[in-house]
Amino acid sequence: MATYPPSTHCPSSSAYSNNSSLINGSNRLPQRTSFPSILRKRCRSTKLYLHQSSNGVSLSKAVHVQDGAKSMKASPVENDGPVKILKDGILSVPPVTPPEESIDIASFDFNKDKSTVSITVVGASGDLAKKKIFPALFALYYEGCLPEHFTIFGYARSKMTDAELRTMVSKTLTCRIDQRENCGEKMDQFLERCFYHPGQYDSQENFLELDKKLKEHEDRLFLKILAGRVANRLFYLSIPPNIFIDAVKCASCSASSANGWTRVIVEKPFGRDSESSAALTRSLKQYLDEDQIFRIDHYLGKELVENLSVLRFSNLIFEPLWSRQYIRNVQFIFAEDFGTEGRGGYFDNYGIIRDIMQNHLLQILALFAMETPVSLDAEDIRNEKVKVLRSMRPLRLDDVVTGQYKSHTRGGVKYPAYVDDKTVPSDSLTPTFAAAALFIDNARWDGVPFLMKAGKALHDRRAEIRVQFRHVPGNLYNKNIGTDLDLATNELVIRVQPDEAIYLKINNKVPGLGMRLDRSNLNLLYAARYSKEIPDAYERLLLDAIEGERRLFIRSDELDAAWSLFTPVLKELEDKKIVPEYYPYGSRGPVGSHYLAARYKVRWGDVGSEQ
Amino acid sequence: MATQISPCSSSSTTFPPSSLNQDTFSSAKFFNFSTKSSSSRWVFKIHSRINPKNQFELKSSNGYPLNAISLQDGAAEMPLAKELVSREQAESNLSVTIVGASGDLAKKKIFPALFALFYEDCLPQNFTIFGYARTKMTDEELREMISRTLTCRIDKRENCGDKMEEFLGRCFYHSGQYNSEEHFAELDSKLKQKEGGKVSNRLFYLSIPPDIFVDVVRCASGKASSKNGWTRVIVEKPFGRDAESSGELTRSLKQYLAEDQIFRIDHYLGKELVENLSVLRFSNLVFEPLWSRNYIRNVQFIFSEDFGTEGRGGYFDNYGIIRDIMQNHLLQILALFAMETPVTLDAEDIRNEKVKVLRSMRQLRLEDVVIGQYKGHSKGGKTHLGYTEDPTVPNDSLTPTFAAAALFIDNARWDGVPFLMKAGKALNTRRAEIRVQFRHVPGNLYKRNFGTDLDKATNELVLRVQPDEAIYLKINNKIPGLGMRLDRSDLNLLYSTRYSKEIPDAYERLLLDAIEGERRLFIRSDELDAAWSIFTPLLKELEAKKIAPELYPYGSRGPVGAHYLAANYNVRWGDLAGDD
Repeated sequence: MATYPPSTHCPSSSAYSNNSSLINGSNRLPQRTSFPSILRKRCRSTKLYLHQSSNGVSLSKAVHVQDGAKSMKASPVENDGPVKILKDGILSVPPVTPPEESIDIASFDFNKDKSTVSITVVGASGDLAKKKIFPALFALYYEGCLPEHFTIFGYARSKMTDAELRTMVSKTLTCRIDQRENCGEKMDQFLERCFYHPGQYDSQENFLELDKKLKEHEDRLFLKILAGRVANRLFYLSIPPNIFIDAVKCASCSASSANGWTRVIVEKPFGRDSESSAALTRSLKQYLDEDQIFRIDHYLGKELVENLSVLRFSNLIFEPLWSRQYIRNVQFIFAEDFGTEGRGGYFDNYGIIRDIMQNHLLQILALFAMETPVSLDAEDIRNEKVKVLRSMRPLRLDDVVTGQYKSHTRGGVKYPAYVDDKTVPSDSLTPTFAAAALFIDNARWDGVPFLMKAGKALHDRRAEIRVQFRHVPGNLYNKNIGTDLDLATNELVIRVQPDEAIYLKINNKVPGLGMRLDRSNLNLLYAARYSKEIPDAYERLLLDAIEGERRLFIRSDELDAAWSLFTPVLKELEDKKIVPEYYPYGSRGPVGSHYLAARYKVRWGDVGSEQ
Repeated sequence: MATQISPCSSSSTTFPPSSLNQDTFSSAKFFNFSTKSSSSRWVFKIHSRINPKNQFELKSSNGYPLNAISLQDGAAEMPLAKELVSREQAESNLSVTIVGASGDLAKKKIFPALFALFYEDCLPQNFTIFGYARTKMTDEELREMISRTLTCRIDKRENCGDKMEEFLGRCFYHSGQYNSEEHFAELDSKLKQKEGGKVSNRLFYLSIPPDIFVDVVRCASGKASSKNGWTRVIVEKPFGRDAESSGELTRSLKQYLAEDQIFRIDHYLGKELVENLSVLRFSNLVFEPLWSRNYIRNVQFIFSEDFGTEGRGGYFDNYGIIRDIMQNHLLQILALFAMETPVTLDAEDIRNEKVKVLRSMRQLRLEDVVIGQYKGHSKGGKTHLGYTEDPTVPNDSLTPTFAAAALFIDNARWDGVPFLMKAGKALNTRRAEIRVQFRHVPGNLYKRNFGTDLDKATNELVLRVQPDEAIYLKINNKIPGLGMRLDRSDLNLLYSTRYSKEIPDAYERLLLDAIEGERRLFIRSDELDAAWSIFTPLLKELEAKKIAPELYPYGSRGPVGAHYLAANYNVRWGDLAGDD
């Protein structure tokens, strides 16, 4: 049985660790026990790690197994048997755990962290690794969220020594603003546990060398562990898609954990369309089981996306409104205020629809629109998300507007066009902007337009969800609202970035004599309410992967369903060589998106005079 | 038929500031020929409040009988009315007589409110203000007295001095007895002199003790009524002590006045957030679906003052907090809160709905009430006197200075939902607010993230009427960070940050409404009857049984009994929750 630090504190995104019920030993408590609503401390000492079944649960059996887990209260240890079968990727012998151990747990002696975890960042010299992955790992370490015994390996083709890697990594590490103490010391400790191994991505041999090094470190760490020798391994593939499979093959065959779990985090792109995505999945599954594959969509790790379900399901006041009866339309908006800036090579092959819509925005849409899941477990949530995706109509060409930015001079500065980018073919038709209208043909959402808009080189940078409510039927105050009733509807805005916020636009009486109405916001600005720095999405996702929490990762069937919505239109765009509408760099994007919205009686909420 | 101003526009939605019309529509005439209704359109965003005086419009300002709807429509169909406007405007005259001009309310509230209206150009061009009281005073002395309490709005200081002078120049004084027809006849001739033979509308504001209400009304109505315009009388609480005395007072008033001349003021209804309550409910989609027993667990109306009677308990001791605050202010807010959607925003439609709520309510029972009285308390070296130590209060007084009550509306919308009220003096804070606690989330997926007390995890909508007007909605939110911890955050709207303008005093709004004949915020006789019938049996029982109030220290949170009362109905007071 794989043990790993679960999580009361570094608590994964999961709301539910089995551990507390083990602690309590109570027969009545559900396996997920209550968190105190307000816990000051986020990460307790690593000594508090507990047993938890972290294993992947096969999709069809998910519910069943959960129930099984629930019933194993009296003596957790004896239940190792059933659980181990379901473990991810491995069927090895569970660690020998004397029964006293569980008693120890019950008596709150938690110093039994019997596993190690090795995190290998494949593509360690790349940008994402430097900017996001290492800093996220350090942040987790700093907060005491990594297991006590961990090792980090960088793997890439560049020749580098451990020291060189450390120098490189150290440049991007920062401490949280609110927790500066011991920062330098912590950094040094962290860096000491970072190592480097150069190798080819398709070389079994090089991965075998890596395996050897990993074992050395694991063995060294085992010396510190009294009982149990579970070595878990996490590979983060931060490499171009064409070498995914090679790296997976080598890692899986030559560097898998012998007695713990082996998990692989994969970054987008997951193919270019249904076929290539399916081919990729098939290839991955030659070497990995579904529950070993962690497809990351870092938007799902954003604080406010995480909060979306909390808002919906832990408040009474939203869910009654969450349907076609009250919601007129929903908008998912993503804007960047810069272009490809000389790095368009990858982008040009994919375009904004694949790069942003088909994954990030669609994932958020699915979370937004899903039915209430049976529980907050990964499989329950992903089941609901798949249902939404499968209820959606494939996108039609009519319902899409594409755009590409052109050069623009402003304030004496000339901003280049997309095709001016040297890494982009000068005749490229790749959209850098797209707007789309999608529909979910189920009972809850029939007829409600779900609009998406994503673009580069726009006038601002933002990601937000806007929910526009219907008109008030028989509104007594219609005459106070002027001619455009659309301006007077309620709107819920969840701003994912920047400046995380939630606000609800309501009509309010302007104070004073007379009766004039305006729209005011009931708002919650995170910066004003929460002083803590919001962790980067990668921290959350890495922690989840370590803890085996799959809720925020994309399952294969989700991915298939997502592609099947977009593949026909993507093919058509390419076959017909549809020319994108050009828009100036730094503008609000092609006006075509307004006409698309107008066709469905929608007005984009982000370009109104008031936002 | 009388002329009047609309732009400053009363609380009524009826008349648009004409200066704005031109922006939106080609001519103001457009409105008058519109046959749809008397109320024309407002432009959604209007920045200018003030309008030229010569744009005053005609409006039927007379009291409508209760079945007013047809008259309303009638008024709307008078296309010629507009043409009368300018002539009538120039000729009509408004006289406001404050009876009891030397009293506290007059000095602190009424004169300043009139000045504010004047300052904002909300009074008609020709107006005169008369003070009337027993004190001997000259006009000059009155002006001197008034001028001390006049202030200009913070955001509009320019010309303030000039405006004050101009205003004071229109203020006069007449001294007389409250029950002397002769003295009122003298007042009448002075008024006539100022009016100069024009159409004269007269408003009397009775700021006097209740025992002389009827005398004054008799004299004013008999001797100083307008002969060719309207005459209206604003009456302040108390409107009786119970159903009988209130009924008696109404009967007496009606000997001299028609229903539509009586303006019973409840200044809480003029508060900004109380006005906004209907706007919130009816102009937003997101609240009304939740506005029923299906989603609302309980509603709380809370009023507290952080001071006691402070040597002025004479009047209060005779009434007590239930009559002074609950039966009127809080109950009125409750009725507005709970009413069904009215047919229109017209006064009669709204008051019809309010009466329906009041008539659906159960009479208050003794066991659903907790009363308290503050006792002396020393804190930080400062001693606060107990209520009965007030020299103006009998030593053995049992008058409650605090009360909490649970009320129920037995209609389809609210069956079983406790409406809790709490009002008290000498408490730890000063506030007035409405709190709406929503039900638990059925089958809450996040149950285990909320500790044991699920009550703490319910949504709550708070309308803070005073101080620091605000609206906020408590929602459960994920605490940012790794892990899944929830807390309650507020979606909020703090008026002082959103609206820089000073919020007008309730009296300004109400005076303007009375001048304009807008009755929405005044209490109709049948409303008053219904309100009394809910409280009278209880009040009688409290007095008959000489129920002793629970004593609580001055400056405390009030008697703990209030918590037990709430607990009986599975309610927890939202204002003492700690996270507020």
